[in-house]
Amino acid sequence: MAVITLPYKYLERLTRTDKKTILDKVAFIGSDVERIEEDHADVEFFPDRPDLFSPEGVARAMRGYLGIETGLSVYPVKPSGISFTVDPMLANIRPVLGAAVIRGVSFDDESIQSIMSLQESLHWAVGRGRSKVAIGIHDLDTVKPPFRYIASPRSRKFIPLDYTEEMTMDEILEKHPKGRDYAKIIRDFPLFPLIVDKDDHVLSFPPIINGERTRVTLDTKNILLDTTGTDKRAVGVAVNIICTAMAEAGATIGSVEIGGMQTPTLAPVERTVSVNECSRLLGIELTAATMAELLRKMRFGAEPAGADKLNVQVPCYRADIMHDWDLFEDVAIAYGYDKITDMAPKTFTVGKPHPVQVNAALAREVFCGLGYLEVMPFTLTSEDVLYRKMQREEKNGVLHVMHPISIENTVVRTEILPLLLEFLTLNRHRELPQRLFTVGDVVDTCLTYQQASGVSTHPDADFSEAYASADAVLHELSIDYTVKESEDPAFIEGRRGDIIVAGKKIGVFGEIHPAVLNAFELEHSVAAFEFDLRAVPGYPAL
Amino acid sequence: MAELTQNEKRLLAILESEKRADAPHLAGLLDATPEAVVQWAHLAGDKGLATVERVVAKEFVYTDEGKEYAQNGLPETQLLRFILPGTTLADLQKHNAFKIGFGQLRKKGLVKVDGTSVTKTPGASTDADEASLKNPSAADQRTKELIRRGILQESETVQYKIAITNEGLALVKKGLDLREETGTLTREQILSGAWKTANLRKYDVTKLPKKAYPGKIHPYQRIIAEMREILLEMGFIELYGGIVQQSYWNFDALFQPQDHPAREMQDTFYLRETLPLPPGYEKVKAMHECGGETSSTGWGGIWKEEKAEQCVLRTHTTSVSIQHLARNPNPPVKAFCIGRVYRRETIDTTHLAEFEQLEGIVMDEGVTFGNLLGILREFYHRMGFEGVRFKPSYYPYTEPSLDAEVYVEGIGWIEMGGAGIFREEVTAPLGINYPVLAWGLGVSRIAMLRLGLKDLRYLHKSDVAFLRKTPALRHTKGGI
Repeated sequence: MAVITLPYKYLERLTRTDKKTILDKVAFIGSDVERIEEDHADVEFFPDRPDLFSPEGVARAMRGYLGIETGLSVYPVKPSGISFTVDPMLANIRPVLGAAVIRGVSFDDESIQSIMSLQESLHWAVGRGRSKVAIGIHDLDTVKPPFRYIASPRSRKFIPLDYTEEMTMDEILEKHPKGRDYAKIIRDFPLFPLIVDKDDHVLSFPPIINGERTRVTLDTKNILLDTTGTDKRAVGVAVNIICTAMAEAGATIGSVEIGGMQTPTLAPVERTVSVNECSRLLGIELTAATMAELLRKMRFGAEPAGADKLNVQVPCYRADIMHDWDLFEDVAIAYGYDKITDMAPKTFTVGKPHPVQVNAALAREVFCGLGYLEVMPFTLTSEDVLYRKMQREEKNGVLHVMHPISIENTVVRTEILPLLLEFLTLNRHRELPQRLFTVGDVVDTCLTYQQASGVSTHPDADFSEAYASADAVLHELSIDYTVKESEDPAFIEGRRGDIIVAGKKIGVFGEIHPAVLNAFELEHSVAAFEFDLRAVPGYPAL
Repeated sequence: MAELTQNEKRLLAILESEKRADAPHLAGLLDATPEAVVQWAHLAGDKGLATVERVVAKEFVYTDEGKEYAQNGLPETQLLRFILPGTTLADLQKHNAFKIGFGQLRKKGLVKVDGTSVTKTPGASTDADEASLKNPSAADQRTKELIRRGILQESETVQYKIAITNEGLALVKKGLDLREETGTLTREQILSGAWKTANLRKYDVTKLPKKAYPGKIHPYQRIIAEMREILLEMGFIELYGGIVQQSYWNFDALFQPQDHPAREMQDTFYLRETLPLPPGYEKVKAMHECGGETSSTGWGGIWKEEKAEQCVLRTHTTSVSIQHLARNPNPPVKAFCIGRVYRRETIDTTHLAEFEQLEGIVMDEGVTFGNLLGILREFYHRMGFEGVRFKPSYYPYTEPSLDAEVYVEGIGWIEMGGAGIFREEVTAPLGINYPVLAWGLGVSRIAMLRLGLKDLRYLHKSDVAFLRKTPALRHTKGGI
């Protein structure tokens, strides 16, 4: 999540109101106020609104929401006369380039920090960790146009930002902290992306690092913005968000020529939406005029075009508006969620429990009747617990998660019984007898189904108890079963029985093998059983 | 005064005449073991009716060797008796007691050896030693010597002197019911009518014997059951679905872009398994790439089948409800699902890699965002939360989206869950032509509040003592 620092003085100047008014209302446009400090607030905004990742963007939205300035913000763009060429060799490496000239900036420590943090937030939310979009900001006056975006040999040398010595691009990937962080994005290409000026000075090695030469300082007056990536729309959005934020701060924006096109235009996108559709979706009465007013509050341009139609101008920085309903959400936010009349739908429906859960509840009832206490162990466990400690063969259908968080969570349980034994280990110091059960999900390859399992431990726990308890549960669930000598190595030979239904083994009961007790560090004998609940007559197909 | 047991009464009755006696004696009279009598006396003592005095006595006992000497005399005595005028050393050596006795005689200076002849010294006598052997005394040096020689042994015996107090006497004078007491009624007593005359022992009813622990449902399961019941009452049908889901149903059908951060390896448990895509997946593909036939622009880029085929441990139960909608595209649909979901999180006190999620959906002609707020308010009210409010939020597959907050006394507003209307990008490819209201909430959050847990892991790795202690009926106030 993006947490944005909002310095009060700057925010108040841009919003043209006091900080209290702003902070009281900022949650209503979609945010969480994280911290209120002496001179600033830290506010978290949602990832679909990267245009709010700067104080300038927040001020623009709040001016609208508070009614200080509504409707579309217009950002004039003049051609800067500067041009870029794009090397066709980049087509498979990093083909998309966006750029802009931002003139007349006046930086102080705070505003440099603010633009750097906007850049980082965009890398995260829009750029997918710089792979989709990477942004470079340069002091324009340190280099000479025209600029070239080229695919360069990896041996090319230049001084990267924060260094004093020349390094090859390969060395940068190896040694520079940013190089190490982002190497994986481009490492496998034979040539690397590079932006150079007329005199072959390096501006940037996207998506890794800028050159030291174009470093932005407190003296920087004019900025060259480069944005490279793999996705045209995402690159465009990043350029628009930075340019409009800088324009809000007082700069003027110049377009550059890339492949014969002037970019950016910062022009809004037109959409025509239905007022009735919006009314119906939100459940509020709207006219074209009131809906237009609400959208203007959210900084859209909006004009009624007949009773049901609204022409909407979507600002270039609103990356999230993909669909008409995205506009309707803004209408709801402007209207106020707290003012929407809430009422349950009128359609009459009848509730119905799922048969799997009905069965599970029945099984729980029987276990409780036998004095068993329910426990709810995790479903993620390890081969060690499921198989090794149980002396059992690993099941074919066991699922291994690809990137486990720890050695204790490598597989999804295929049985519940081992987890109950683990539970007894955990509760060794508690009063005996302990009788525990679980009814819950297990997996066999991609299929999920339910098992029931019970354990009883005390000095006299034995085969008879296991058999009697298993019989009671099976009987109450109307499972008609027979018993056959079992070969399950988790139990003692001659004190273990397979539960057979229609010729198929559906479970097992008996006295746990002392070697298994040793493995789980248990001191008393354990009577145990487990079975597949799909054996319940009339059980639903899964 | 606590009730006297039958045995205490019997003891007191005997003591009325005996006044003070030792335990074995009383045991003989009461036909019991001395230990039992001491125990009864202590019980009576606790009530001030008797006293128990512990007397430690030192005693000297003969060793096996000592027993023989007590009968035949000490070895030196035996030898001394044997020495007559003219007795030679050779004669003496033939005597059984020579080995020990001769050394003693010489040590005590009672004999004189002259060449081969042995004579008594004048006045030689072992009478004092023999006296000491017969009547040992702790103060006697000779007794100590006998102990050192392994002839005598010192031993301690504890004796209990039991006496009746004045209160005890007064009580006995008032009369004791000495009829035999009955503890557990026997079948015989019940059937024969003997219970009518039986003296039923009165118990100390304030004292809880060993605790009994019932089998019962886990407190967390109870909260889940409560939510289920509320939703069933509100006319929802329950869904059940697999833990393992295709990325297609977990993400793609919900319009999550394939490069969305939540889909990355570090947030989701991926599995090696793949499943073939269902028929009609092309519509989902088209939606991602260009917005299909709706007013949407889609995400752009290329949608890859192989990414959608890969299986994951479901990250939300929405993967179950969306399939229910795909199978049931006609209104009305009101359904819910409570199930375990998985996030690849580092496990700590407030984060688990698996937790229960509740998810509800309503699809119907003409349902509105206002209806969604209404359903949520109703649900939270039924859960006991009086104050409910909504604020804008963001979820990738709903629009508009909201977060619901409930007011908890002493804590304030707490975020309880997210909700929204499924985007048309989600519903259109599945042939659903009406709005779908959807909401979800983390069940464990309420459980943590209600059960006062500091550590979420406790729900799944529970202390049996905690489960035994937590009552089935918990009085909730204001939802917690």
